[in-house]
Amino acid sequence: MKKNILIFIVFLLIAFVLPFVLSVYGIDLVSEIFIMAIFAMSLGLIMGYAGMVSLGHAGFFGIGAYTVALLGPHIPNSYLLLFFSICLSGLLALVTGAIFIRTSKFYFLMITLAFGQLLFALAWQLKQWTGGADGMKVSAPLNLGFGEIVSPIGIYSVMAAAFIIVYLLLRFFVESPVGKIVKGIMENEARMSALGYDVRIYKLLTYTFSGALAGFAGSLYGFYNLFVSPDVSSWMFSGQVMMMVIIGGVGTLIGPAIGAGLFIFLQNFISTYTERWPIIMGALLVILVLVGKGGIIHWFALLKSKIFYKKRKNSDDYAPQHVEKEEVVN
Amino acid sequence: MSILKVENINKSFKTLQVLQNVSLEVQPGERHVIIGPNGAGKTTLFNCITNVLPIDSGKIFLEGQEISNMPSSKLVHLGMSRTFQKNNLFGNLTVEENLHLALTATKRYRYQMFHALTKHIDLKKETDEILAQWEISTRRNVKVNNLSYGEQRLLEILLAMASKPKILLLDEPTSGMSPAETAQTAEMIQKLPRTVSILIIEHDMDVVFSIADRITVLHHGEVILSGTPEEVRNNEEVREIYFGGGAKAHA
Ligand SMILES: Nc1ncnc2c1ncn2[C@@H]1O[C@H](COP(=O)(O)OP(=O)(O)OP(=O)(O)O)[C@@H](O)[C@H]1O
Ligand SMILES: [Mg+2]
Repeated sequence: MKKNILIFIVFLLIAFVLPFVLSVYGIDLVSEIFIMAIFAMSLGLIMGYAGMVSLGHAGFFGIGAYTVALLGPHIPNSYLLLFFSICLSGLLALVTGAIFIRTSKFYFLMITLAFGQLLFALAWQLKQWTGGADGMKVSAPLNLGFGEIVSPIGIYSVMAAAFIIVYLLLRFFVESPVGKIVKGIMENEARMSALGYDVRIYKLLTYTFSGALAGFAGSLYGFYNLFVSPDVSSWMFSGQVMMMVIIGGVGTLIGPAIGAGLFIFLQNFISTYTERWPIIMGALLVILVLVGKGGIIHWFALLKSKIFYKKRKNSDDYAPQHVEKEEVVN
Repeated sequence: MSILKVENINKSFKTLQVLQNVSLEVQPGERHVIIGPNGAGKTTLFNCITNVLPIDSGKIFLEGQEISNMPSSKLVHLGMSRTFQKNNLFGNLTVEENLHLALTATKRYRYQMFHALTKHIDLKKETDEILAQWEISTRRNVKVNNLSYGEQRLLEILLAMASKPKILLLDEPTSGMSPAETAQTAEMIQKLPRTVSILIIEHDMDVVFSIADRITVLHHGEVILSGTPEEVRNNEEVREIYFGGGAKAHA
């Protein structure tokens, strides 16, 4: 526990120092990473803590982004816009989730994919409002009560704060009764039901929370990018965020955030050198997934166990999936 | 009033009729044992009572209230819980975490979303009590997959007990156990307070006759006989089908 607090403080320090050492381009990139990290953590929650694999999560991201874009000109209050984005995407997750979670794993994947595509098509078709495939400008500058935030450092600060808030919220969630219960359901649904849990309610609560966070990430993206296009809810984007989750490590909170960081960094880094960056990215990802079974977060855990637990006899049966449990597993 | 009443239930899987007009009644506090050869339909009967499987026809009552079509999760809140023939635990979680999950099921804070579960003092207290009572405090932080088979069997019962049921359904709690573990488990079941009624499926005849107030014999999905241990012991038909012509009848 103390170790976690230490890591958290180190993270805060780094986040604080970064803007002073990075170029404007770098600051901008890290801001984007924070947004994608929120998005990836939201998907990581349902994938790693509830066993629900969705291929339509970008749908909620899109709802958030388009809410800011469409309502921005009419509602000059950033707090309200963020609030509406979260409520709308959460509500949509609640309603659609109530239907989707009745299905089996494979079918869930398919139906969420279809759902994401439906929103993608809507953004595409409603040309008079969304500008269709051309996308639309966001004319809603971020204003949190102390003037318009336009400078890269200002944006960076907001995104960093949002990331920390979402991380803490998720931390509280997975430690809460609902968080523990939904994880129990992932492990053994039949027994949870026999113990007296209405499993659907817990899956639905988690899915709704996750959808709302994805929507939040989307709205931040709207403020950050000041431009949205249907791509924000495409299945490609859903697939990319799933990649971030898998690369970083399913079953942890911070893993998907690390995956998002690496993904965005690589994407930008490689694309400055070659037009063919998607191919190289793809190949790299395949290698990462093949080599890094369990995700990058588990490399850290393994490294840590090598350094700190060398003297332990049973370091062989160290189970990487249960990083937080290392003190108690015998 | 009986605590559990099963009235003429039928269940078939496609063309295979597994339960035929099965009726039985459990009185408050009673230890009611179900015996019958392999494949007789005992586990299926449990699955029907707890609505894990829907029944084709018939009625089931819990304390006079009809529960025939009630979701199994709801039954726990009405006072009925069960164990499984095959261990059905959370293998990657610790003993303590397993108990937490079982205990939380009937807590009002089970829908809380941002307050740490382990901060609830009553949960810690009840967990401590259970661990102390069954003398497994030292196993608290052990992953369930690393427990011995006998310990897992015990935990299986403790999880079902966590909701403080009025009636407990135990599906072969001693299956796969060594003779010593079997004796221990029988003792444990005898130690359970009479405020909880027990319906139990059991193969081991020593255990059956050491705990039964009443025995129901199931054969090919039909109730052959429901009576006192004495009546069952002396029944010709039961000897015929269950004890193999009486040769192996228990003394
Ligand atoms: N889900 C199912 N689908 C099809 N057939 C089933 C199913 N469950 C049980 N059966 C069949 O129903 C019959 C009764 O099975 P059941 O498990 O209830 O027996 P049992 O009395 O518990 O036996 P045992 O003593 O071996 O545990 C068996 O012939 C079994 O193959
Ligand atoms: Mg059985």
